[in-house]
Amino acid sequence: MELQKFQYDNKTVKMFAYATILWGLVGMLVGLIAAVQLYLPSSNFSLPYTTFGRIRPLHTNAVIFAFVGNGIFMGVYYSLQRLLKARMFSDLLSKIHFWGWQIIIVLAALTLVLGKTTGKEYAELEWPIDILITLIWVVFGWNMFGTIIRRRERHLYVAIWFYIATFVTVAMLHIVNSIEIPVSFWKSYSWYAGVQDALVQWWYGHNAVAFFLTTPYLGLMYYFLPKIAQRPVYSYRLSIIHFWALIFLYIWAGPHHLLYTAVPDWAQSLGVVFSVMLIAPSWGGMINGLLTLRGAWDRVRDNVGLKFLVVAVTAYGMATFEGPMLSLKSVSAIAHYTDWIVAHVHVGALGWNGFMTFGILYWLIPRLFQTKLYSEKLANMHFWIGTLGIVLYAVPMYWAGFMQSSMWKDFTPEGQLKWQFMDTVTKMIPFYIARSVGGALFLAGAIMMTYNLIKTIKVGTFLEVEEDEAPALKGEYHSHSTDHWHRWIERKPIQLMIVSLVVVAIGGLIEFIPVFLVKSNIPTIASVKPYTPLELQGRDIYIREGCYTCHSQMIRPFRSETARYGEYSKAGEFVYDHPFQWGSKRTGPDLARLGGKYPDSWHYNHMVDPTSMSPGSIMPPYPWLLEDQIDGNSTIAKIKAMQRLGVPYPEGYDKIAVKDMETQAKQIADNLKKDGIETLADREIVALIAYLQRLGKDIKGEGLKAEK
Amino acid sequence: MKNLNKIKSLVVAVMLPAVGFCQDQAANGSSTYFSNALFLTLLSIIIVLAIVIVAFSSAFKNIADSDFLLNKYVNKKDDSSSTTRNITAIILLFSSIALMAQETTAVAKVDNSLIGGLDQFTFYFMCFVIFIELLVMGLMFYQFNFLVRTNIVAKEGKAKKAESKILMSLTDAVAVEEEASIMLDHDYDGIKELDNNLPPWWKYGFYLTILVGIVYLINFHVIGTGDLQGKEYEKEMAQAKIDVDAFMKTSANNVDENSVKLLAEASDISTGKDLFIANCAACHGKLGEGTVGPNLTDDYWVHGGSVKDIFKTIKYGWVEKGMKAWKEDLSPMQIAQVTSFIKTLRGTNPPNAKAPLGDLYKEEATVAPSDSTVVKNDSLQIQPTIDSLSAGKK
Repeated sequence: MELQKFQYDNKTVKMFAYATILWGLVGMLVGLIAAVQLYLPSSNFSLPYTTFGRIRPLHTNAVIFAFVGNGIFMGVYYSLQRLLKARMFSDLLSKIHFWGWQIIIVLAALTLVLGKTTGKEYAELEWPIDILITLIWVVFGWNMFGTIIRRRERHLYVAIWFYIATFVTVAMLHIVNSIEIPVSFWKSYSWYAGVQDALVQWWYGHNAVAFFLTTPYLGLMYYFLPKIAQRPVYSYRLSIIHFWALIFLYIWAGPHHLLYTAVPDWAQSLGVVFSVMLIAPSWGGMINGLLTLRGAWDRVRDNVGLKFLVVAVTAYGMATFEGPMLSLKSVSAIAHYTDWIVAHVHVGALGWNGFMTFGILYWLIPRLFQTKLYSEKLANMHFWIGTLGIVLYAVPMYWAGFMQSSMWKDFTPEGQLKWQFMDTVTKMIPFYIARSVGGALFLAGAIMMTYNLIKTIKVGTFLEVEEDEAPALKGEYHSHSTDHWHRWIERKPIQLMIVSLVVVAIGGLIEFIPVFLVKSNIPTIASVKPYTPLELQGRDIYIREGCYTCHSQMIRPFRSETARYGEYSKAGEFVYDHPFQWGSKRTGPDLARLGGKYPDSWHYNHMVDPTSMSPGSIMPPYPWLLEDQIDGNSTIAKIKAMQRLGVPYPEGYDKIAVKDMETQAKQIADNLKKDGIETLADREIVALIAYLQRLGKDIKGEGLKAEK
Repeated sequence: MKNLNKIKSLVVAVMLPAVGFCQDQAANGSSTYFSNALFLTLLSIIIVLAIVIVAFSSAFKNIADSDFLLNKYVNKKDDSSSTTRNITAIILLFSSIALMAQETTAVAKVDNSLIGGLDQFTFYFMCFVIFIELLVMGLMFYQFNFLVRTNIVAKEGKAKKAESKILMSLTDAVAVEEEASIMLDHDYDGIKELDNNLPPWWKYGFYLTILVGIVYLINFHVIGTGDLQGKEYEKEMAQAKIDVDAFMKTSANNVDENSVKLLAEASDISTGKDLFIANCAACHGKLGEGTVGPNLTDDYWVHGGSVKDIFKTIKYGWVEKGMKAWKEDLSPMQIAQVTSFIKTLRGTNPPNAKAPLGDLYKEEATVAPSDSTVVKNDSLQIQPTIDSLSAGKK
């Protein structure tokens, strides 16, 4: 057998590692600022660009797609080459991939702070960036498959199964969820509306967690954990079963984010049962990771990287047990919309993704630079300060969530709500403070790591040319009779990709098709009418300012919610909502039936200074809405786009839309004048008031009658 | 097989009281326990802990059966093995649950105060059970540790084997020393794979969740015994009405716009003031001078200035004019207190008072109904908005 010599591409790995560290620090810092704003609203520097509604999406996008994203590529580029005994397919593609991804991140950061957003959680980026993401993702896949084709290892190791599943599923999720009609270069409307949009969005959102934060990191675990611990993987059979079960079941679980909403009952139930079934496949990964360390626990004590990995895998186990519990309807009724969910995701993000990344970096950087870690002691400190940070973050948030939910649901014996919403907000402040301390500790740990790694890099010399050798693959493979049946697909990468795609497509198709095709799933309501042009403009301001990050628009059928907010939300109310704005968190109250609750002047004053109308409010002021003019020129394009989406504006309405808009704006300005507020009718505040006053009004009359 | 039988009897012992408990509940018609989230949470903690105890004791049995323990016990006269003791303890524990469960409902009726929707007895009782379970686990762990430790002293080097035995009984794994026998022949960049069996608890746990999923779907969507959210909401509202009505019958709180009277007690007025500052001041000013909402200190009223009118305005609101209905936030008594406080504001002439709005209201007319259109209580709630608006403006 002739050995072939080849070189690994370490440079791309190094660049992705640097990007991981940089964006990790940025993402965590932005998260910390957002956390502080919850008790010190003035820490937004009174700039539109740094308000909570804009930097919260910046934080989530930065940590998910920039920090974890680069972490994935770092780990994949390192492990893939070695597992396949081949250099990456194309240096040019690697370069395009790296720089393309960084350009996407920078564009994302800029557009999000400028308020260019689609208003769909974790998919906020506008259509030009969506297209760019698709292209770069294809480059990644091309580069990966090119490498796989040129491999010198017959069978694909379990880590690579996870990489392939990640590649196809993320592509599917991103493309399906991002279908939108452009209005202008930085503005689009989701192709889906209301219930359908919600279902697609959370199918995407949930599986972004599954296939961006989980499966690629499981792949990394399967490479780095046995590698660092120098132990064989515990069970090959467990790998097979938990891989296929995981990717098949995960896709179905999206509707568990929409329990007790206007989504059809059967879809909710599917979300529940598939989440429950996910416990074992998720834990399969944890077990296989932890039991790989059998007989090597002494190494965990001595190796700081391994310590991080162990906590990461444990956090993964905790989060994936808690997830299915939160998917039970009775638990969701308590936890949804509260900080409990925030705690849950951070156990996953800080524990699983954060610690896994740190662990890998502590092992990888000294290897790439052929030296020892600058300070083991500092790394150990990072481990403890990071763990403490996670605990200090999660515990107050769990407590806060449970407490706030209990307060929301409290009734006096006379049958009145016991607490005003504001009471439940002010009670949260101490917890928010504690949480930001936890977050700050975690960030401090990351800074310590950065310092430690920079010192390491300075001492070492980069291993630019790493040589290896392996025999070439020879033609036909003759399988042995003792081979496990699964070996077949392990030597057929294309088939593996296709089968994965089929497996992950099933759940989504079964949930979507009936909701899109069977009318009874979304009963129409005759009194629900399209938004007026002014309301539509106001809605776009609502989306731009990220109001959905703190306010829901979905009243669940509970006594405590109908008493506080009014009749519970019906599927038919949202048929013109491109995109839906149900939200997932109630830092402020639900707004689904806000319309008509307060006078126009109340809203005006509230936007100037929220505390003037609701003392104790932690909402930031929005003074620029008073100054900025409504983008009247866009009205025609917006109406036309809506018409193309099937919103029934009469034919030719776009021609009179502007006039309609001005008339309605004048009415509101006159209304404000009566209460002594002078404003020009073309200001954004007027459009926003128009939208807020419309919310939930379409069925208000009917709802009242139904109650009697 | 001896083990298996013991475990079986243990399971039966656990199940019996649980079944009894369920029947008790059903007989009393209080199936509401099972729709209470706190109850379900506590119950699942209890069950999970019980399973851990059972699993632990089976691991315990495994060690107990191993050579080194036998050797150890040869030297000891005390032959009531710890496992038996533990199992006895568990059975005792669960039969005590059964006994106490009988009393639960009886006691619950006496004490009406609720913790998270659970009566105090059930709540504390369940916490107690959890505590006992934790105690049992602690004891077991302590004993276990003790055994292993004494063993280390007795036979050095065998501790490691003891450890892998527990793990093996839970995971069905091949011992680390013998893992070469299940090592696969692949080598991926130095990473090898073992071919251990699936851990039995994991495998059966997976089957169990699939079963739960199927039962869940059948329950809610095939035979329809479970309530979907619409039905659940109707039941919740009906129950709330029953509870509130029952409370109101016995409560002095039961005032409405027909029976409300001006309250003169200083305590009522000061409570009214606090409520006003908390809820009304944002729109009507801290002194009632009016900001977004109208001035409440002058003699002009948009919707009538009698006690009954003000009560009505607060209770049902004038949504079109920006006054929200407060009946879900304030109790009738509280609305009466706020009303009475507002009546004390008359003529206080606060600074920055808003210009008068509405119609002049003469205080003398308090006794007689101020408006000729006395609206009956039941029709009040669906006031035709346009009419009432124009009536307000006149």
